Amino acid sequence: MAPVERTDAQVVRDVLAGDRDAYRLLVRRYGDALHGHALRMSRNADEAADLVQRAFVQGFKRLHTCKDPDRVGAWLFRIAANLCKDHVRSRQRRRDVPLAPLADVVRGAADPEAEAQAAETRTRVWGALQALTPEQREAFVLKHVEGRSYEEIAAVMDLSVASLKMRVHRAREALKGLLQELA
Amino acid sequence: MKYDLHRHLDGELGTDALDPAARGEAEQWDRMVASFHREAPRGDAPVWLEQRVMAEIATLPERGPVRRALDWLTRPASVRLSPLAGALATAALVLAIVWMPNADETPIAPEADPVVYVQFVLEAPSATSVAVAGDFSDWEPAFALQDPDGDGVWSARVPVQPGVHAYMFLVNETSWQTDPNAGRYQDDGFGNRNAVLAVGASS
Repeated sequence: MAPVERTDAQVVRDVLAGDRDAYRLLVRRYGDALHGHALRMSRNADEAADLVQRAFVQGFKRLHTCKDPDRVGAWLFRIAANLCKDHVRSRQRRRDVPLAPLADVVRGAADPEAEAQAAETRTRVWGALQALTPEQREAFVLKHVEGRSYEEIAAVMDLSVASLKMRVHRAREALKGLLQELA
Repeated sequence: MKYDLHRHLDGELGTDALDPAARGEAEQWDRMVASFHREAPRGDAPVWLEQRVMAEIATLPERGPVRRALDWLTRPASVRLSPLAGALATAALVLAIVWMPNADETPIAPEADPVVYVQFVLEAPSATSVAVAGDFSDWEPAFALQDPDGDGVWSARVPVQPGVHAYMFLVNETSWQTDPNAGRYQDDGFGNRNAVLAVGASS
C-alpha cells in the first residue's frame, strides 16, 4: 500500500509539535513556486535562491502564527513576496539595479540585424519593468509575467480582486510612461 | 490608457470591441505581454535549497513544551460537525436566545444600511468624460460626473456608506487623477496619492 501523503495542515501540526524535520516537506512542495517568483522579481539566480532560503527560515520561525495551515503554501508565498519587494526596494535605493543579461533567451539569429533590434527592445522593456516600484512590479509580474488569474493572485496575496486590478492597472500606466521616457 | 484597454488586457473585452485607435495599442500590449510571458526567467529551486534551509533551522533553539502548548491554545482551529450535530447546535442556540429574559421588551427595528450622498466635483475644462472610482465602488469607475452647462466643472452625487474612503477620478477613460481639493490624501503604495474622504452617518 502506498504511504499516505501528509496534508499541509498535518505537516504544520507535526512541525509545531516538535517534528521539525517534517518542515522539509513544505520546502519540497513550495520551493519551486517561491523560487520562480523570486527569480522573476530579482532576475538574479543567486539572489533568488538566497531570498527563498530566508523566506523558508522566516516561515519556520513564525509558523505558529499561520492562521490557515491548509493554505500554508500561500502563506509562505506571501513571506517570500514581501522579502522580494524589500529586496527590490533596497536595491533601487542603492541605485545598483543590474540589468541581468537575457541569457535565458536563446534563439537562432536568422536575421542578425532584426535579432539585435529585438534584443535591444527586450532589454529596454525589461529595464522599464525593473524601474517600477516594488509593489507595481510585483502586481505586474504576477499578472503578466507569471500569467496568473486575478482570482489566483488575490487568493495568494490575500487581497480583493478589485484592489488587485487597480494595482495592475496602475503598474501598466507606469510601465507605459517609463517606456515612453526610454523611447 | 483607456479603461477599455485595461479591460482588454484583463481578458474582459475582445480586441473587436475596442475602437480602432485603441486596437493598435492593444496589439502592441498583447505582443509585449506575450514576450514577457515567453522570456520570463524560469528555473526550479536549486537542489541545495532544502539542505540549507534544514541546516539553518537545526541551529534555531527549540520551542519549549509550555510555549508549544500556549501556541496550540491560541491558534485558531476549525471545528467539524455533522449536519445533524450542526442542526442540533443551531436549534439549541436559537432556543437559548428565545428564552433569554429580556428586561427591555421594546422591539428594535433593524437598522437599514445608512447611505450618505456625497457631491464629487472636479474642474477639468478639457475633459470629455470624468468618472469617480473608489473603494466604495470596488475601484470601478462606476459613477460618471456630468458637466451639463459645459463650463468644465464636472460633478455627481454619489451614494457612499459612512466611513473613510479612498477615491480617484478617471478622466477621459485614460488618466487617473487625484482630487486636488480633497482635504486628505494617502499613499497607495505605488507612488500615487489617493484622495481620502471621511463620511459621517447622516442624522
